[in-house]
Amino acid sequence: MNKKEVRCARMNESYVHIEHPSGLTLLLCPMPQFGSSYAMFGTDYGSVDTAFRLAGEKEFFHIPDGTAHFLEHKMFESEKGDAFADYARTGASANAFTSFDKTCYLFSCADHFKESLEILLGFVTDPYFTPETVDKEQGIIGQEIRMYDDSADWRVMFNLLDALYVNHPIKIDIAGTTETIAQITAEGLHHIYRSFYNLHNMVLAIAGNFRVEDVLEVADKVLRPSEKLEVERLEVEEPYEVSRRRVEQRFPIASPMFCIGFKEKPGDKRENAVNSILDEVLNEILVGEASPLYRRLYDEGLINTTFGSESLSGRDYMASMYSGESRDPDKVYEAICDEIERVKREGIDDEAFYRNQRAAWGRYIRMLNRVDSTAQVLMNTWFSDMGLYELLDVVAEMKKEDLEKRLRENFNREQSAISVVLPEA
Amino acid sequence: MSEQMHRQELCRGVALNTVADAKFKSNRISCNILVPLDRENATVNAVVPFILRQRFRACPDFTRLSEKLCELYGASLDGDVRKYGGYQIINLSIQGLDDRFTLDSDPMVKECCELICDMLLDPYLEDGCFAAEDTRIEVQNLIDTIQSEINDKRDYAVAKCVSLMFEGEPFAIKKYGWEEDARAITPASATAAWRDLLRRGIVEILFIGSGSSEQAAEIFRRRFELAGREPIAYSRLATPFQQRPVRRETQAMDVKQGKLVLGFRTGELSTGAEHSAMKVMTALWGGTPFSRLFLNVREKLHLCYYCATRYDRGTGSVLVDSGVEFENREKAEEEIFRQLDAVKNGEFSDEELNNAVLYMVNALKSVTDTLGGMENWYLTQVLSGAGETPMENAEQIRRVTREDVMAAAETLRLDTVYFLTGKGAADDE
Repeated sequence: MNKKEVRCARMNESYVHIEHPSGLTLLLCPMPQFGSSYAMFGTDYGSVDTAFRLAGEKEFFHIPDGTAHFLEHKMFESEKGDAFADYARTGASANAFTSFDKTCYLFSCADHFKESLEILLGFVTDPYFTPETVDKEQGIIGQEIRMYDDSADWRVMFNLLDALYVNHPIKIDIAGTTETIAQITAEGLHHIYRSFYNLHNMVLAIAGNFRVEDVLEVADKVLRPSEKLEVERLEVEEPYEVSRRRVEQRFPIASPMFCIGFKEKPGDKRENAVNSILDEVLNEILVGEASPLYRRLYDEGLINTTFGSESLSGRDYMASMYSGESRDPDKVYEAICDEIERVKREGIDDEAFYRNQRAAWGRYIRMLNRVDSTAQVLMNTWFSDMGLYELLDVVAEMKKEDLEKRLRENFNREQSAISVVLPEA
Repeated sequence: MSEQMHRQELCRGVALNTVADAKFKSNRISCNILVPLDRENATVNAVVPFILRQRFRACPDFTRLSEKLCELYGASLDGDVRKYGGYQIINLSIQGLDDRFTLDSDPMVKECCELICDMLLDPYLEDGCFAAEDTRIEVQNLIDTIQSEINDKRDYAVAKCVSLMFEGEPFAIKKYGWEEDARAITPASATAAWRDLLRRGIVEILFIGSGSSEQAAEIFRRRFELAGREPIAYSRLATPFQQRPVRRETQAMDVKQGKLVLGFRTGELSTGAEHSAMKVMTALWGGTPFSRLFLNVREKLHLCYYCATRYDRGTGSVLVDSGVEFENREKAEEEIFRQLDAVKNGEFSDEELNNAVLYMVNALKSVTDTLGGMENWYLTQVLSGAGETPMENAEQIRRVTREDVMAAAETLRLDTVYFLTGKGAADDE
């Protein structure tokens, strides 16, 4: 077993990185002053994985849209019953989520840590799908999809992704549609499970009040060594051009909502993660509350406090998004495009750079002062080929010129789009 | 780990509640001004924190204020309105790194406390009034907030049920108020509301984190020594049953999934033990992913995607809210009652009871792990008069028996049923 301590000189803190004999990577950050622990068990399989083949296979296996999310739901079921019923006996609060490029199972607990961890590792490594259980789940997920159909927040974002991307499966709804999930079979789920839920492709990240020995004891007991599998994903050719510049939908809501996006050129996953931190600071400089643009739009009544920016990045996609409510979303769009052009011409203000870097520092320190976000960041950085504390280095060492370069190369009006959801006429 | 709250009265009607916890690298300072909810002033009071959040006399520019927050290591500053029982709460809060974790040992606690005081007590005024521009923008934002209640259908349906249920009682008064009242707000009326809040409001300040609260106490004591203060006396509002038939209302909208909300009253619960029993009862009935409602209404009968209970001690109410297919509405309602009857009759296993208790104890022990969780908990303790730590409450939850749960279920009285349905589906009623 390979075990090493990763230390942070800036904060005088550390976590343990272990390569478990089963093939699973363990990232363990004890925070003994806290009352609870937060554990996440994840694989880098999400909604964007639409086709794959294993080493030696000729044909790609095509996955119906919404399968990763469907599989996540199904994992909670075993021949004996439901994992939630097991967690009920430990008091842990359990959940799971599927994103574009990850599926993750998690729990938070204050007592009975070992028992809860045993449940987590147990049910995620023990698939149970039959035609009957798959059939039943299709009904439940159908209801979840209809709930998303009624969510304006959800629609405005997916409509944007659909406009920004031509071929990339990020444009597909994570939950799929009633039609696509109807194509899912028990047999298909087994094949996908074997390929993507291989322990070598997974990580267990835990932060909080627990002992490293306890984790190892449970891991030794539950996990069986697995053979490493090479999964080749079907690469999708995605141009830098957008599919459409504008998309509109009507909804029973009060005031128009918008989501504006700039499509960026992705690098490898580590570059994307680093660039996403740079973009986060860059977006604060461009449209954050301390920016001149925010002030102007706010004073003109074009944005309100719902306005915010976000950097979206993953394995092979990268975008910056700005969303909120507005009486005139297209004016906001124009203003953001114009501001980007201005900052490209005039450069970033030194003071603005310094202030926003300092603010980002504060945000990251605060993030690492919580058990849940520490576990999340441990997992996310690992999937991005980064160490946890490298985040702080990126924040502390970024240069104004790095941000200006990102702006010049990745923020272009032609490669941007706006999605608007309007109240019903 | 679970810290005791230290409470001190700084001056009449102004209290500082401190919870010191060395594990945090930051501090959260929250200033809450309480006034009784009333229909006439609720809306104009609601705009005040948003106007105050824009700028103050010593920093008369919003952009400069935002820059200042960046310099304070991205300290987050929020103004908002809350509601507890019959009170409206005007809140300003700031969360920032503690002095020890800054790059240059900056005096963060001092700066944050002074900032909150400046904002609340020494705003930017023109001829003794809030600026017309600030008022115009924040009134418009308030109107947007009120109108956007409809955007999230689940929240909308819950709010609708609550306002129907408490019609004519202070609990029905919405924390952000009403659009028509918002349109009538002027700089003069908003400024008068601010002055009135300072004159008669009860001020509850919370300081949670690792920093020096002595310094905070000194600053708040000095700044809150205001002339002419006549703070009201705080008293909890009674939560009686209403003698009237169950109220049912259905509304049609262009939605794909229906929302069914049942509102129950609990009546007056007097002891902490009764509140704990009600908490366990609602958890067992529909508060967890292994509760009776989740397992039966969702997992077994597939009648809805979510079906959950929530207990609000401040108003003495329990709500059940669910997302149902239009045609399943009646079946879902029947099943929700069937499960309530089962709880009343004690038709649940010891294991179910233990599991509900474990779940709640786990949640309580996690409260102290975040500053936000601590703030919510301790503010509620101050307002409800319970004055417990999460650990003390966990102990009481552990003592809840089967009979306590059955008795708690017996006290529920159905008051209001609200159903949000699709257009064209409304004829079913």
